[in-house]
Amino acid sequence: MAEAAGDIIAAPRQDGAPGLWGPMLRRLTADRGALLAAVLLLAIALACAAAPLYAVHVAQTDPFHSNINGEITIDGVQRPVIEANTEGLGLGQTPIGPTGRAQYLLGADSQGRDVAARLLYGGRASLLISAVATLLGMLLGGTLGIVAGYFGGVADAVLSRLLDVLWAFPVYLLAISMSIVAVGSGLHLGPLVIESSNPLLPALIIGLVGVPYVARPMRAQVRALRKSEFVLAAIGFGVPTPRILRVDILPNVSGTLLVLAPLLMAINMLTESALSFLSIGVQPPAASWGTIIQDGLALLYTRPLVALAPGVTIMLTVLSLNLLGEALRDALDPRLARRR
Amino acid sequence: MIRPLLARLAQMIFVMAGISVVTFAIFFATPGADPSARIAGRNASPETLAAVRLSFGLNRPLPVQYGLLMKRLFVTQDLTSFMNRGELVVPQIFAATPVTLSLVGGAALLWVGGALLFGVLAALRPGRMLDRGLMVLGLVGISMPVYWLGAVVNLVTQSRLHETWLFSWVPPLGYVAFADDPWGWFKVLLLPSFTLSVFYIGLYSRVLRSALIEAHQEDYIRTARAKGLSERRILLVHALRMSLVSVVTLFGLDFGALVGGGALLTEVVFGLPGIGKLTYDALQTLDLPVIMATVMYASFFVVAANALVDMLYAFIDPRVRDA
Amino acid sequence: MVVQQRRRGPLAGRWVVLIVAALAGDALATSPAPNDPHRGGTLRVLAGSGAGTIDPQVNYTLQFANLYQSVYDGLLAYKKAPGAEAFTIVPDLADAIPKPDNGGKRYVFKLRSGIKFSNGREVTVTDVAASMRRLFKVSSPTSGTFYNRIVGAEACISTPTTCTLAGGVVADTKAGTVTFNLSEPDSEFMDKLAFPHAVILPADAPSKDVGVAPIAGTGPYQIVSYDPKKQLKLTRNPHFKLWSADAQPDGYVDEVNFDFGLSDEDQTTAVANGQADWKYDPVPADRLPEVSQKYPKQLHISPLTALYYLAMNTRLAPFDNPKVRQAVNLALDRNAVVKIYGGPRLATPACQVLPPGIAGHEPYCPWTKNPGKAWSAPDLDRARQLVKESGTAGMKVTVISSDVAVEKQMGIYLQSLLQDLGYDATVKSMSANVQFNYIQNTQNKVQISVTSWFQDYPAAADFLNVLFSCASFREGSDSSVNISGLCDNGLETDLQRALATGVTDPNAAAAQWAAIDRKVTDSAAVAVMFNPKRLDFVSKRLGNYTFGAQFYFIYAMAWVK
Repeated sequence: MAEAAGDIIAAPRQDGAPGLWGPMLRRLTADRGALLAAVLLLAIALACAAAPLYAVHVAQTDPFHSNINGEITIDGVQRPVIEANTEGLGLGQTPIGPTGRAQYLLGADSQGRDVAARLLYGGRASLLISAVATLLGMLLGGTLGIVAGYFGGVADAVLSRLLDVLWAFPVYLLAISMSIVAVGSGLHLGPLVIESSNPLLPALIIGLVGVPYVARPMRAQVRALRKSEFVLAAIGFGVPTPRILRVDILPNVSGTLLVLAPLLMAINMLTESALSFLSIGVQPPAASWGTIIQDGLALLYTRPLVALAPGVTIMLTVLSLNLLGEALRDALDPRLARRR
Repeated sequence: MIRPLLARLAQMIFVMAGISVVTFAIFFATPGADPSARIAGRNASPETLAAVRLSFGLNRPLPVQYGLLMKRLFVTQDLTSFMNRGELVVPQIFAATPVTLSLVGGAALLWVGGALLFGVLAALRPGRMLDRGLMVLGLVGISMPVYWLGAVVNLVTQSRLHETWLFSWVPPLGYVAFADDPWGWFKVLLLPSFTLSVFYIGLYSRVLRSALIEAHQEDYIRTARAKGLSERRILLVHALRMSLVSVVTLFGLDFGALVGGGALLTEVVFGLPGIGKLTYDALQTLDLPVIMATVMYASFFVVAANALVDMLYAFIDPRVRDA
Repeated sequence: MVVQQRRRGPLAGRWVVLIVAALAGDALATSPAPNDPHRGGTLRVLAGSGAGTIDPQVNYTLQFANLYQSVYDGLLAYKKAPGAEAFTIVPDLADAIPKPDNGGKRYVFKLRSGIKFSNGREVTVTDVAASMRRLFKVSSPTSGTFYNRIVGAEACISTPTTCTLAGGVVADTKAGTVTFNLSEPDSEFMDKLAFPHAVILPADAPSKDVGVAPIAGTGPYQIVSYDPKKQLKLTRNPHFKLWSADAQPDGYVDEVNFDFGLSDEDQTTAVANGQADWKYDPVPADRLPEVSQKYPKQLHISPLTALYYLAMNTRLAPFDNPKVRQAVNLALDRNAVVKIYGGPRLATPACQVLPPGIAGHEPYCPWTKNPGKAWSAPDLDRARQLVKESGTAGMKVTVISSDVAVEKQMGIYLQSLLQDLGYDATVKSMSANVQFNYIQNTQNKVQISVTSWFQDYPAAADFLNVLFSCASFREGSDSSVNISGLCDNGLETDLQRALATGVTDPNAAAAQWAAIDRKVTDSAAVAVMFNPKRLDFVSKRLGNYTFGAQFYFIYAMAWVK
């Protein structure tokens, strides 16, 4: 009886339209900003995926191999990749700057490696870590938020305090400690061993940090939903909770989750680069955009491009992700769209 | 009214206690965190090492050490650092507080002002060039890693263009107390506050803009328009007032986190000896007493800000209030 | 910065210089006269942070040893003179360097009279005896290693609080002398008395580590305040009167301010902009071209008796196999690591443990393409062959470096090198404060690490004995500075013999140290990379920059007006 009642009292879609995804997609593709963002993201992802091709065929280099005493021929002139300074007292060694050629397009870093090739490989690591962290954050944060918002009471209090702990947690301490612990034998979680170089480690930390960003809006929305007429009616009719969650709550929050995903990924990319500052995450000689920035900051005064390039790529990627998130939100709820 | 307040207070203390225990556990789980050898000096004989451990109480069982640490931090307030022997920790916190407050306060002024300006301008004519331009600018703002931006600002203002009239006024990195030199204090904080505010201007201008636009759809706005009020008046007076609610609560959370030491990377890049830098240095040197103190300080502000915001929400919006 | 200098100079050499100096009179005195126009002003110094406790008998850092040289005095001191002359030991609070009697086990020092602490009280032999006891009471890092041969020291080491040093340090107030009785002769005892841990403090100084509370001293400057996060301030000692320009000259500036908190990049910018006079931390690599080009006259380069090396764990695979260690030594491109450090003008490639300038150093390099006296090029082929012979190719190896920029880069280069040799290599950098002790503890199973060693005083034993004797290896301890874990009976005998010979015949000892140096280098327990040089970047207004090889920049001798 309750089952049948549940079927009858299916939750109406919030925007009143007959379907959710159809009109949304239409609005999305009409939005030029969103298209631009999507294209840009795709281009970046593809370029990074093609990193091995670039390294082998274009730059002809191994971007993880130190090349401090290497030499390169430009316009017939052979030059060391890391050159001694000859002015004044002749102190200091400077990597070559951007050559504009296939080899060392953006110059070399302090180990004599090709920055452009590392940038592409770095993108793979940064995007992968951020994506995994985002997935983690969405799953965990979504679950926490929905449970806290729906059940209220003690569960809500406990989970909200848990979120407080996560929010206020000394992430950097955890990061530093984990980086030292994981040095020798890796992190042991029962039968599971995570090597210190495994990108899963930073993804885990960053994912945890991002949980409140998802849980809070989820909780707020679900709390409001919980008090809406159709949910109250369903409860009144004795519809079992899992069914209510599945049929009434989930479809209505899925839009918010979708909007949150790219925004969360943007935040996670920034967190990843900040954690690279503290040597947790991708271990040398592997690269992520954050570690290249860190290398570049040590070269800021002589070869600023090494720090500028990854910063700009992070900015472009995060920008596209944010644009996409905004466009998704606009497409989902036309009331928020710009007035024509 | 009092009961939920007390309950919330109890929860706050519980959260902070939980954080302190986890911090303590993480510290002692980290190999190489034992400061005895560092303090004893290189190539110290085993006897010297043992003597140092004894004098720091590091040979006591962990729960005892935890209890002593908490007591010294909160009750007797005579907690001393591991790295710098004899240096009291609590006065360090208090000395660093005005620096962080100045930085975060200045940034807050900038970002609230900037967000209001950009958000309102953008919402006035949504969809037009100004709106799109400002929003892209805002997006750029929230897409830059703050320590990277700070390093670039330093590169330009301290080194590359330091000689030019544009930046010759830029003082050396570091902090000048307001009591010592008000004008110097202002100059020292200008660029760091600006750097810190960039992210938040971007974020808040967007939040404000979408909140304003959403408010515009509300029924009472339609009523006001029907009554014949000008668009500008509607926007500035009515819509703004409702939108400010969400902005204010967001502001409370962010400000709380920053005051507690969230501006860590900005302080490090600009050499400002605030709470963030104190935390960062303590983490680098694995100085447990200072780590514990700064973590407690930070978590207090975050938890308190959360509680305040939740209570504010319950107060303003009856729909959200618990039955 | 826990970079400590150790020095060992040839005793013979020192005697010669002393005699010459005594004959030539105080020809090198540069103490400023009261009406010298350069007197006055404030010296502004920058450092990343304070270096821990301000207690001179506990602090074991280079940063504060440099500070103490003009604040405190011992019975003996290192001469305040440029370069290697600063290795010379001169009498300071004592009026002469005594010759030992009783088979080299007894030294009688006569205290100069009329010298006052900055609190106005005169220095007496009671203060001397009390200071030596205090050394044990505060558990000074070197109490068990440097001063353990004083009679009564053993009891003091086991129960510091009741330390009496009865029979070990005897003060005779009537005669104004202090007698030191040793349990056995010590050829380096003079160095140890000139070392900062043996400075003379007021007898009523607290018997525990003072932390941040300054103790009164006898030098031309006194510490008035110390906040490890903000500033350390020195002003003139009002009770200072010149007694020996060689040991403790008066200072030119009236005040010295050490300001803490800025990163090394920001420190460089500050000095370049004239906002500070000297910076303690090194100039970061990417600023070298800039300062080299724009401020060449404000740069000073001085050689150091120090080395950067790779410590390989001789008790852990794959480095327990000598062939592997030899392979690393042969494959190491010392030019590359020199480049990382800043180039050939700031570092010199080296293969052996003893740096130039230490008695017993005879140029020797077996780990290069054409073995002989100096390093020329790596021999990657022979290295790969050795790895193949060892059968360890493909093993996992982790390199541990600190997060100091140049060391981190060296670690990354090393990872690449080990990969070339056929290993599955990774590198991990950790906080500099943690790394040095981490790599010493055998429980952490560190295979290979990047580290450095700076002398305490100029003696070969400070390198070879301290770094490679069995006594310096302690299982499961954070303090086991024989990181390689080398413990060889033959080597032990050689070390003891050289130490004993040094008491009577320093020249013969030097030859023995040279042989030990070759032996240790051949064992390839470590892979020495280079000997660094010190680069000081000073402000335009700073004059009379003097670099002493023992304590580095002698700030008392610099002027700003």
